[in-house]
Amino acid sequence: MTLEQALLDAHARHDAPALVGLYTQAADVTADNQAACFYLTQAYVYALEQGDPTATALYDRLSSQGRV
Amino acid sequence: MAKDAVSDMLGAVQQPIEHARGLANAHYTDPAHFAEEKNAVLFSSWAGLAVASDVPHVGDAKPLTFLGIPLLLIRDRTGQVRVFQNICRHRGMILVSEPKNIQGAIRCPYHSWCYGTDGALVSTPHVGGPGHNTHEAIDKSTLGLSEVRSHVWFDTVFINIDGTARPFEDVHANLIARWSIFDQPLHHGGADSRFVLDVQTNWKLAVENYCESYHLPWVHPGLNSYSRLEDHYNITEQGCYSGQGTLVYRQLTGEEGQVFPDFEGLSDHWISGGEYVAIYPNVLLGVQRDHAFVIVLEPVSLDQTCEHVHLYYAAPAVDDSLRARNAAQWRDVFEEDIFVVEGMYKGRSAPAFDGGRFSPVMDGPTHCFHDWVAGRIAAHRAR
Ligand code: FES
Ligand SMILES: [Fe+2]
Repeated sequence: MTLEQALLDAHARHDAPALVGLYTQAADVTADNQAACFYLTQAYVYALEQGDPTATALYDRLSSQGRV
Repeated sequence: MAKDAVSDMLGAVQQPIEHARGLANAHYTDPAHFAEEKNAVLFSSWAGLAVASDVPHVGDAKPLTFLGIPLLLIRDRTGQVRVFQNICRHRGMILVSEPKNIQGAIRCPYHSWCYGTDGALVSTPHVGGPGHNTHEAIDKSTLGLSEVRSHVWFDTVFINIDGTARPFEDVHANLIARWSIFDQPLHHGGADSRFVLDVQTNWKLAVENYCESYHLPWVHPGLNSYSRLEDHYNITEQGCYSGQGTLVYRQLTGEEGQVFPDFEGLSDHWISGGEYVAIYPNVLLGVQRDHAFVIVLEPVSLDQTCEHVHLYYAAPAVDDSLRARNAAQWRDVFEEDIFVVEGMYKGRSAPAFDGGRFSPVMDGPTHCFHDWVAGRIAAHRAR
């Protein structure tokens, strides 16, 4: 399954924990910094919502790019 | 002419009980009066919204509506119960649409702005464009959720929508002192100790019926066999609350003689009796040696009231079958009142009804409530 399909599936079943992982993965594999910041934002918001401790690291990555 | 006539009628309500009339029909049946009453009576006082036991755990959030206003009842990270308007500060979307536990943040389902359980706006994703999560025009520190003034007492969450009421402890100092002995943990009896009665009536009639004992021998003959009319006394505290007390409260006893544990440190007065008051505007309370109850009257509309009943005990766990029996017994009693509050509501459409009269001996608590409502409306009109 492609990452895109996995993301769509996770959205369809409102699987927020999966969305954190998949959007983080999407940020990690893209070479485009602009796109990476978009994905990191998505991952960060779902992590924040669930009180997932990875929110801190995601915040720091966005912060280092001046995005929060 | 119409306005004068209306003011005169308020004046008639505020007469000494021997001469007073009750509130006129329009206060029960006219939408314009209901709209006026919202501001004059329900938004400007400490109205009951819910019970704190509705959100027992940190992060528990429950959407509620009070007179059409979408509200969010939540227990924040520090354990404090708060009430917010249940809308996002971005485009006004409803934030939480069903009861849930907020693990981290409240995420708006529209564009995912995120709020802490304390109402602070913590994230505004993509607000400065994709992947840019800030913008100088959007100052998060000024865009937290709109909090509604609230106060928890007797496990009841009271709200003052317009923010103008004096502090709850001032307004209700008298009842807080009167019942100070019950200022100890009240343990909600759980799922079988909460029920809801939907009644086709105006909320005020539920208050009026609750606070007098005059009807006991006729409407609750079963109750009256052990809670006799002659053992009751009136409670009237002008401008705050009114109701009835009984000198003789008989404990519910199980087949093996088991009873509920008593609240701690009760005086003789509380070992033998009980008190039942309506705390204005819309909360009905009862205390006895071994259990208490809270009824929040939700004024759904002019002619619809939802009665949210909750029973409390002195210990976190009490005898299961006895607790179920107690809930069933109270449900029977409260259901016995439904035909009365619905019947009085229908009666308010009879043009010849002039507000009615009060027994100077038996109806003091009811008149006390009418007098308070009339006073709030008169003060509102004078403003
Ligand atoms: S309306 Fe809530 S984020 Fe836009
Ligand atoms: Fe009754």
